[in-house]
Amino acid sequence: MSEGTSPAARVLIPLCLVGLAGAVGTYVVAGPERFFINWLIWFLFLLTIGLGGLFIVALEHTVASLWSVPVRRIAERLSGLVVGIVPVALIALFSLPVVFPWTHPEAAAEPMVAGKLVWLNIPWFVARMVISLILWVVCYRFLAGGSLRQDETKDPAFTLKARRFAPVVLIIFAFTLTNVAFDWISSLEPLWYSDIFGVYLFVGTFLAGLASTALGVAYLDRRGRLPGLRFDHRYNLGGLVFAFTVFWSYIAFAQYMLQWYANMPEEVFWYKDRIEGFWWYAAILLALLHFAIPFLALATRKAKGNLKLLARIAVVVLAAHFLDLFWMIFPVLGPEARPSWPELAFALLFIPAGLLWARWAMRRGADMPVGDPRLEAALEFRL
Amino acid sequence: MTEKPVAVLALYPSAQALLDAVPRVRERGLGRLEAYTPFPVHGLDEALGLKRSPLGAMVFGMGILGAFLALVFQWWTSAVDYPVRIGGKALFSWQAFVPIMFEVMVLLAAFTAGLGMLFLLNRLPWFGHPILHTRAIAAITRDRFALAIEADGGELDVEAAREALAAAGGEAVEVVHAYTAPEGKRTVFPWREVAGVLVACIVAGVVTFYGIRLFPVLPPMGHMEVQNKAVAFRGMRSPVAGTVARGHLPLPVADVGEADAVLVNPLPRTPETLARGRLRYEQSCELCHGPLGQGKTALSEAYQAQPANLQSATIRDYGDGRLFYVVSYGFSNMPGYAVDLSVDDRWAAVHYVRALQRSQNAREEDLP
Repeated sequence: MSEGTSPAARVLIPLCLVGLAGAVGTYVVAGPERFFINWLIWFLFLLTIGLGGLFIVALEHTVASLWSVPVRRIAERLSGLVVGIVPVALIALFSLPVVFPWTHPEAAAEPMVAGKLVWLNIPWFVARMVISLILWVVCYRFLAGGSLRQDETKDPAFTLKARRFAPVVLIIFAFTLTNVAFDWISSLEPLWYSDIFGVYLFVGTFLAGLASTALGVAYLDRRGRLPGLRFDHRYNLGGLVFAFTVFWSYIAFAQYMLQWYANMPEEVFWYKDRIEGFWWYAAILLALLHFAIPFLALATRKAKGNLKLLARIAVVVLAAHFLDLFWMIFPVLGPEARPSWPELAFALLFIPAGLLWARWAMRRGADMPVGDPRLEAALEFRL
Repeated sequence: MTEKPVAVLALYPSAQALLDAVPRVRERGLGRLEAYTPFPVHGLDEALGLKRSPLGAMVFGMGILGAFLALVFQWWTSAVDYPVRIGGKALFSWQAFVPIMFEVMVLLAAFTAGLGMLFLLNRLPWFGHPILHTRAIAAITRDRFALAIEADGGELDVEAAREALAAAGGEAVEVVHAYTAPEGKRTVFPWREVAGVLVACIVAGVVTFYGIRLFPVLPPMGHMEVQNKAVAFRGMRSPVAGTVARGHLPLPVADVGEADAVLVNPLPRTPETLARGRLRYEQSCELCHGPLGQGKTALSEAYQAQPANLQSATIRDYGDGRLFYVVSYGFSNMPGYAVDLSVDDRWAAVHYVRALQRSQNAREEDLP
């Protein structure tokens, strides 16, 4: 392939290989527990970006929004991550007996956990994950694949079919994403529970999708590949990022405050482990990156349509989403565990790999859904 | 027409014609430009060179102010003026204050947005905008687009304005005068409308009041006022005449003076009794009498109240019977606790009060 020789690839591929060596080293030296915790964090980070893209596409079809048609192809390309994630997910399944306490035989001794074993058992967990993966790939193939075919056929029938199918995708998304939140994050500490946790991960997912879409838009726009994209389109994209940073803060704070206030021993330990000592600083950083900085930066009307600023804020939001997952999952390793070289190795593995994938994905099909009959009207969109 | 001309106005046949005319008229710099259109026209704000509304900044500022005021107010009420520890949390628990801060922030921001828009920026109440009394208004509300050159502080050059508007393609050029209603129809302040609103409020109040009485949607709330009236199987019932409910035997004492002579504490002084008495004391007595019974608490200070000091020599000399009598029927401002505490609970509390008194007045032989 030609991209193998491009200057970016010549830097990224060696970095990726160094990261891969580091990840293998983590398994051997630091132990499988550390390896799988990092693997889970990156798996969920990439999965939520892909699902966020899929959600944006399905949302546009459901509400028949006009402004987002010119940027839909970027979200469609991002949603391709739900296919690329399959091998990562299959490896993640091997973490079950290592880091999930409910897989251990002594879990049944704790009555609170024993009651949950009906749901939390390896066969049913794996089945749920496989079903979810199949459903996501089917939704992706229908919405994104159909859209690519429409580029050639210019068949308006697809737009109508997608509008009918998209609500089904949203329902599938709601159930499977809630399941991801409870299965992959919450059940790491099976005593803990929070009813709102599915919504919490949903906001992070939607924000990750929006931020990645904004980055993709900035990347293509700078290369002049999105002709006709106006302030009005960019403003709406920035407005959604702005709105959902506030929604994330609302959900995150509501979850924290209720558990802090009630102070129930069986649930408050989760927060105690995450707001004391070292992790307190992580929590503050999370509040800054996930709320304060994007909120203040995007508050004005001009800022929401400023693509350069939006791209920077998108990087902040993606970093915040990663930190959010890290802050939720990493403390499972114990109060003494601190980020160190294994985490650096995983970042070296997955960030270049993700960028390489994005470079490849951003070449798929036309840069705008040229077969969509609404594209012309969408480019004329005014606030 | 004797009034000063305030504007010159012309009609344009389409939104595009208006948009084309604006820059041509604007470059003449004859006064402030204002457009009147039957529907919002994209790009008109930019063409007219209108500045962004300051409303967003006002809302932001007031929102921050609301959150800040709510924080300070809660800090002052909860940690300074009336410090009561709730649920073992710190007096200044910012987490608990955030919902109120959020609500007050939204309240001030929403009021600023709504009222600021209407009264500060749109200059309401404004009766009789001059444009409403032009010939053009009928066309503007139908299918024509008007551009007006308005006097910007100084004098309006009517002839130059006429010429500029017409040169840019305007039709039906018209001079707009400040509107003064003819004598007899003049409304300086809408007293009539204000009075009408007041009358409507009173009528609505009266209708609602009697409407609820005559057509009760909710069951009448009277049963909550006197709780011992029987309502079918609900509510508390009065005892059958001539009977006494279990645990509610009246005391065989007519007067507080006889109490010591007649009443004897029936409970043994065991650790269990003291624990029970302590629990009841903490639940019912401690709020006013204090953890040691000295009658000084945050509550009594805040209300300038003087609950009895249970450690005083007078009360230490009272017999158990008299303490029990006061707990049951109250004394001075203190209500009776016969309803809240069972007979045994009250006796257990008396034991506990004795233990408290002993703890503060220990004798030498109490030492081990």
